[in-house]
Amino acid sequence: MIARLEEVYVDRGGVTVLRGVTLQVGEGEAVALIGRNGAGKTTTIRALMGLNRPRSGKVYFMDRDITDVPAHERARMGIGYVPEGRRVLPDLTALENLEIAYGGKVPKDTLEWLFQFVPDLKRFLNRKGLYLSGGEQQMLAVARGLVRRPKLLLLDEPLEGLAPKIADSITRTLKQIRDEGFSMLISESGIVKRLEGLATKAYGIDRGEIVYEGALEGILEDEVARARIWGV
Amino acid sequence: MDMGLLAAQVFNGLVYSSILFLVSSGLTLIYGIMNVLNLAHGSLYMLGAYLGITIVVYALGGTPLAYLVAFLLVPPSVGVVGALLERTLIRRTYPMGEEYQLLLTFGLILVFDDLVKMVWGAAYINFPDPNSFLGGLRFGVYTLPLYHVILIALGFAVFLGLWTFFSRTFTGKVMRAAAMDREIVEAMGVDVNRVFVSSFFLGSLLSGLGGISAGPLYTASPGMGTDIIVYSFAVIVIGGMGSIGGAMAGSLIVGVLRSLAISFYPQLEIVIVFVIMAAVLLVKPTGLFGRPEFERR
Repeated sequence: MIARLEEVYVDRGGVTVLRGVTLQVGEGEAVALIGRNGAGKTTTIRALMGLNRPRSGKVYFMDRDITDVPAHERARMGIGYVPEGRRVLPDLTALENLEIAYGGKVPKDTLEWLFQFVPDLKRFLNRKGLYLSGGEQQMLAVARGLVRRPKLLLLDEPLEGLAPKIADSITRTLKQIRDEGFSMLISESGIVKRLEGLATKAYGIDRGEIVYEGALEGILEDEVARARIWGV
Repeated sequence: MDMGLLAAQVFNGLVYSSILFLVSSGLTLIYGIMNVLNLAHGSLYMLGAYLGITIVVYALGGTPLAYLVAFLLVPPSVGVVGALLERTLIRRTYPMGEEYQLLLTFGLILVFDDLVKMVWGAAYINFPDPNSFLGGLRFGVYTLPLYHVILIALGFAVFLGLWTFFSRTFTGKVMRAAAMDREIVEAMGVDVNRVFVSSFFLGSLLSGLGGISAGPLYTASPGMGTDIIVYSFAVIVIGGMGSIGGAMAGSLIVGVLRSLAISFYPQLEIVIVFVIMAAVLLVKPTGLFGRPEFERR
């Protein structure tokens, strides 16, 4: 087991957005987190990253209770984060974005290693975040989440808002990363098909509650999940 | 118009610009990185001048060595005071909103003013004139007081130093990154609290450097912090809040024009600064070098 949320409740702005979420990601596993907008996907991921503190419940990483560990220490312990909306630092170049995430000058072999997954990165390494296209920003965001070689990579809607061709290329990159043995949690707001061949296990989430746990393919047949996530 | 007088006033203006830049670069740096407008920033400038007095006048008897020691010790000491303020008091206002920040830092102005009166008294205190041992620099027909020349050079050197720091060094880039999106930078493994303390240290250090530099020019008095903060605000609004280049441009404009006004049309001394500020705000609300803010998180 790499990471686990246990009965996590999170309040945001006076509203309870997670109600007893229990979820885990195993070694080398790519796990999908499926739910509509506002269902609690982002908060679940933020709770793992340490950006939202639970009101109650526990967060574990590598068999250690990290509920009270701040986000920056979690990053150093080996949790990589690819946030919703990419959030590339606009006034820094792509390389500088990577440097911040690495904690200093990125060694050449680490850059070469990143290029295996995102070869396009080579092209725009010295361009400012502000001037990158949506797809380039997402590639950079993935590389940035990966640069410390984390044990767990959290990806919050990495395919959102991308042209189909670019979304496919990101999916290919993620598969390649998974094949290298990295564990991942990937959220997606409904199009399960996009994650086929990438994630094996899935959780369904609705109104802050886990409504499905099982194989990715199974979620489309599950009555509870269908009713709560897609309303059919 | 007397060209000699004009040249002299431009020169004096540049000296004042330099002081203004030291103070306002610290103010704009703290604002740019942390979104904190520290009204007590001028009080740290005052503290710099008074600590300078203590070393130069009371401890070491006005020797050239005394000045050297003061310039080395005072700025980092003021930096530490600023960092302590951030840790102990200002940090508590972050979850509360900007009005609390303004109230707190305004309160600090009053505390610092009274503290200075208690420790050093309310009377103006003069530094011994550093030009008495530094002498002058011959420049054509003029002899320029060397201390003044050094201050102008110091302003430009600090500008270049800051520019290099923020564009070339890793720590400088981390500070800029924290200004753009503090949460993401935290999630990337940076202890943002430490970045904030460091930027308060650096910003306050600059204010302290401004204070020790200005002391020998204008004497030290309990109200000097409020005087400088008012002009510094005008400077960073004109230049663009959060921009070091803007602080430099604003300081040059305000410093030189104020100095010219003083000798040619004294009634305009204060007005002219705010007329320029209003004009800039009308034409470019983000200031000369300011950019529309990136969405803050």
